[in-house]
Amino acid sequence: MSFIATLIGTVAFAIVAPILGCLLAGLDRIISARMQGRVGPPLLQPYYDVRKLLAKDNVSVSGVDGVYMTAALVFTAFAGGIFFSGGNLLMSAFVITMAGLFFIMAAYSSRSPYAELGAGRETVQVMAYEPMVLLMAVCFYMAAGTFNAGGVFSLNAPVILYTIPAFVGFLFILTIKLRKSPFDLSTSHHAHQELVRGTTTEMSGKTLAKVEVMHWCETVLFLGWTGMFFVWAGPVSLILGIIVALAAWFFEIWIDNNFARVKWQAMLRSAWAVALVCGGINIIVLMFM
Amino acid sequence: MGYASKSPWVIHYDASSCNGCDIEVLAALCPGFDVERFGIINTGNPKHADIFLVTGSVNERNISVVKQIYDQMVEPKVVVACGICACTGGIFHDCYNVIGGVDKAIPVDVYAPGCAVRPEAIIDAVVQAIGILEEKSKALKESKKGA
Amino acid sequence: MQLIGFLILFPLVVAALLLLVRGDGLRNAIVWISAVVIAAGSIMLAVQYLGAAWTGFVFSSQAIDLVACAIGVAISAVVIGFGVKYKNYLAVGLAIVQLVGDLIFEFGFAHGTHVEVGLYIDPLSVVMALIIGIIGSGICVYALGYMVDFQKHLDEHGEGLTDLQRKDRRPTFFSLMFLFLSAMFVIVFSNNMIWMFTGWEITTVCSFLLIAYTRTDEAVRNAFRQIIMNMLGGIAFLAALYFAVLNAGTLSFQDFILFGLGSPWLVAVPVCLLAFAGLTKAAQMPFHTWLLGAMVAPTPTSALLHSSTMVKAGVFLLIKLAPLFAVCMVPAQMVILVGGLTFMLCSFMAISQTNAKRVLAYSTIANLGLITACAGVATPEAIWAAILLVIFHAAAKSLLFLCVGTAEHHIGSRDIEDMDLLFERMPKLARLMMIGIMCMFIAPFGMLIAKWATLVSFVDSRQMALVLLLAFGSAATFMFWGKWLGKLAGIAGSPENVELDVHPSEWISIALMAALALIACLALPIMSKMLVEPYITSVFMQLGSDISVDNLWITSILAAFVFVVMFAGNRDSKAKRADVYLAGVSVDSDGRVYRNSLSGETTATSRNLYLDSIFGEGIVRRPGEILCAAIIIVAIIASGFVPPVL
Repeated sequence: MSFIATLIGTVAFAIVAPILGCLLAGLDRIISARMQGRVGPPLLQPYYDVRKLLAKDNVSVSGVDGVYMTAALVFTAFAGGIFFSGGNLLMSAFVITMAGLFFIMAAYSSRSPYAELGAGRETVQVMAYEPMVLLMAVCFYMAAGTFNAGGVFSLNAPVILYTIPAFVGFLFILTIKLRKSPFDLSTSHHAHQELVRGTTTEMSGKTLAKVEVMHWCETVLFLGWTGMFFVWAGPVSLILGIIVALAAWFFEIWIDNNFARVKWQAMLRSAWAVALVCGGINIIVLMFM
Repeated sequence: MGYASKSPWVIHYDASSCNGCDIEVLAALCPGFDVERFGIINTGNPKHADIFLVTGSVNERNISVVKQIYDQMVEPKVVVACGICACTGGIFHDCYNVIGGVDKAIPVDVYAPGCAVRPEAIIDAVVQAIGILEEKSKALKESKKGA
Repeated sequence: MQLIGFLILFPLVVAALLLLVRGDGLRNAIVWISAVVIAAGSIMLAVQYLGAAWTGFVFSSQAIDLVACAIGVAISAVVIGFGVKYKNYLAVGLAIVQLVGDLIFEFGFAHGTHVEVGLYIDPLSVVMALIIGIIGSGICVYALGYMVDFQKHLDEHGEGLTDLQRKDRRPTFFSLMFLFLSAMFVIVFSNNMIWMFTGWEITTVCSFLLIAYTRTDEAVRNAFRQIIMNMLGGIAFLAALYFAVLNAGTLSFQDFILFGLGSPWLVAVPVCLLAFAGLTKAAQMPFHTWLLGAMVAPTPTSALLHSSTMVKAGVFLLIKLAPLFAVCMVPAQMVILVGGLTFMLCSFMAISQTNAKRVLAYSTIANLGLITACAGVATPEAIWAAILLVIFHAAAKSLLFLCVGTAEHHIGSRDIEDMDLLFERMPKLARLMMIGIMCMFIAPFGMLIAKWATLVSFVDSRQMALVLLLAFGSAATFMFWGKWLGKLAGIAGSPENVELDVHPSEWISIALMAALALIACLALPIMSKMLVEPYITSVFMQLGSDISVDNLWITSILAAFVFVVMFAGNRDSKAKRADVYLAGVSVDSDGRVYRNSLSGETTATSRNLYLDSIFGEGIVRRPGEILCAAIIIVAIIASGFVPPVL
């Protein structure tokens, strides 16, 4: 039963998430522009960008990066499908990591020095956020009694009441996951950086379009994780979840615009320290409850 | 209008000269003018760019660089020569090592003269370039269908 | 019963035969045939006893006990002989202690203790038999081709070596490999703990001889490191036997466990000692260095030690002891903490390694740490995870070792940085290696499912320290596998294909390992039901409520998808080829050469991040060893007087 639900969820996510994610990305650019005292692009600008990229010529350094990115997209869709059909949170986290791995392989495949450096940094990023993601899931499990995201609907109170430290820690690594400054080391949404474009340096046309779409889907998925903390029995709480997710997202944009990029050492140390402190404290507290 | 014209990503390269035009180009791209309103993004990567803004004349040293950047851009692509040096070699045209305008190295689509090139001229040229980009994009689509 | 006897004795006969065979052709034939026979035998055994609960076989003989004792004496003699020859008196001392202990035990102490049910079979030994029989003999077949190249290399490049080091010792090598298999079968089928101990010691001394194969100074030094550490474990095992006779009055493993469940306070010390023996054999910190040192041996040896035998004997013992860990707190905590710490710290240290075999070694130790910790947690879920980890690790790791061995012979290096462009130079091998790597650490492959179950069982049993160790350790595994995978994925130009002259025997065994990894991943739900769950129910009388079958099926579908991506023409042939962007004028894009500002040529080089300043061996190793050693010492002392269950 849940197997079918996952498949349906995946298809639905693959349709809905790009639309939502695209709108969010457009809004992101407008909000960022306003924060900088500019007007910013049209709301549908990310869509225009992707459509343009799709119309570009088919050029590749390695010939395999396009296939790897397709695989990454499929895994992203699965991760979203698993989560939004109420499936296992850990599973969703693992599958999205798989998508990240294919993204890294696509970058490595070109053997471009810039892409390789970006991909190397991306592996450090994954290593930086992975402990907190696992601990977040564990805290969720201990508070909700299940790893299934759908389990929140049968709770009497939202999970957040028991998992504030874990939620804070998750917000911290959300910046890394959304590739926002100060943790956009491997590749950035903003052009012009010291690694040219890091992981995506050698990607062009359709492949780059896939990267964009993957980012949209990822954004929707991660905001889903964020909102999940605030949802409990009753449909009204869904609205609360969406509001909180959007607030967290706005907060990330604010951080993006206000902090300069750090070195990977600082990212790794701070992310692990946060995971250890926030995750550790939360787990210990939940253990005695 | 197609999507190519709604999302023109540019890359700029200063071949040589006094840097005046280069400063003008960058000034036009800076946040104050907010070219992102038109979807224009200044990418640092030829593989992502659609419009190539070149300033300065081409000489023996940089001709291969200009060619390389152009070659690495993905079709459809257009080239805008910004400033008189990029158009013809300008004041440096008879220097011992100067070859001439950018069109000595790569095909140029739009010429924006001036010393230094005015912002109005840059914007004008880019708008024209967007039109050409659109045409090239359609042509590419046709050729793909044909093939 | 006959089949068990056959599986134990047949490799012995083959080993003796191989010792006499000098010709390549005859040896190939013997190894091939006997590998197939052993594999077939273990499959038949599995079919026959699939899902059966613990079945004992009444089989005892004074003669066998005496033979076991004689083997023990012979083993000690071998170690003493080598110890005197190479002036390693610590090894000699330990061997003498063991010899004396052995003799007193056999003729004075336990002479009257008789075990009726000498052999047994249960679902766990079926799993182990399949691993030993299929993967172990597959490695033997692989060694045929590998050792030809190995010897050729010695003959051609052996100028600096002595005659002894250059000597063709392949008959002994293959003989030892099969002896190893036989000893492993003894370990997994013996209910008589003396026999089990004999098998245990045979594996120790076999791996000693295999590690020292090349007789170089380094090989000999590492071999002695191995034997000293494992003899410590062996002596602990022997001491545990004394306590078993003294406290429980039995040498039957099954009776010992049942007795322990009833009176845990009497078995705390022997369990602790047995767990210590398991930890040494499973190369847990601070004993992990012997497994790293074992890397000097020819690659088939490493594969055999790491994936299907030797270290698996260690975790096998720990998993068997799990019911007792559930009632004895001190040894359980020791095993949990040492395993968890080893998992995290060795994953950290793997990041800083460039040598592919060392990365594999560290990841082996780390995974064994996880299995060890699971055994210590001893809930049904944890044991489910531990057995799955054993299976997946055996298949994926042997695949990786064989790939690295073949790559080493064809690119002349085992450095990961030199594996650049392997995707083009050895297209099939690189893809198989990538699959092996993915199997080791990432969803949707079985290894990760097992880790997931581990996480769940740690949370459920409120082992919070372990949850943290696991979270940070698995993040590190992503890093070191991910960057290796990336190195393999690089594509540029069309370098010469160098895999055309790989021996067919190597291909066949690599393909076998890949097929096993594939089957294990795709048929995960079935395997869980048929092979693993029977053991859980037979030991715990219940199944852990764990990962739902739906999730397992989702993962196997995703795994199939990855296999398709990797193998079904993942190259977009329509795409135009472009040069890499080098921020300047490229001279040679494939070689990443560009013209610099002085019109000279510069090659862009990039290395992966090894984060030596954070995760270097120099930083991580010492504290880890001290911590783990302290835990073990405290636990062994404490097991004597701390009540088993607080």
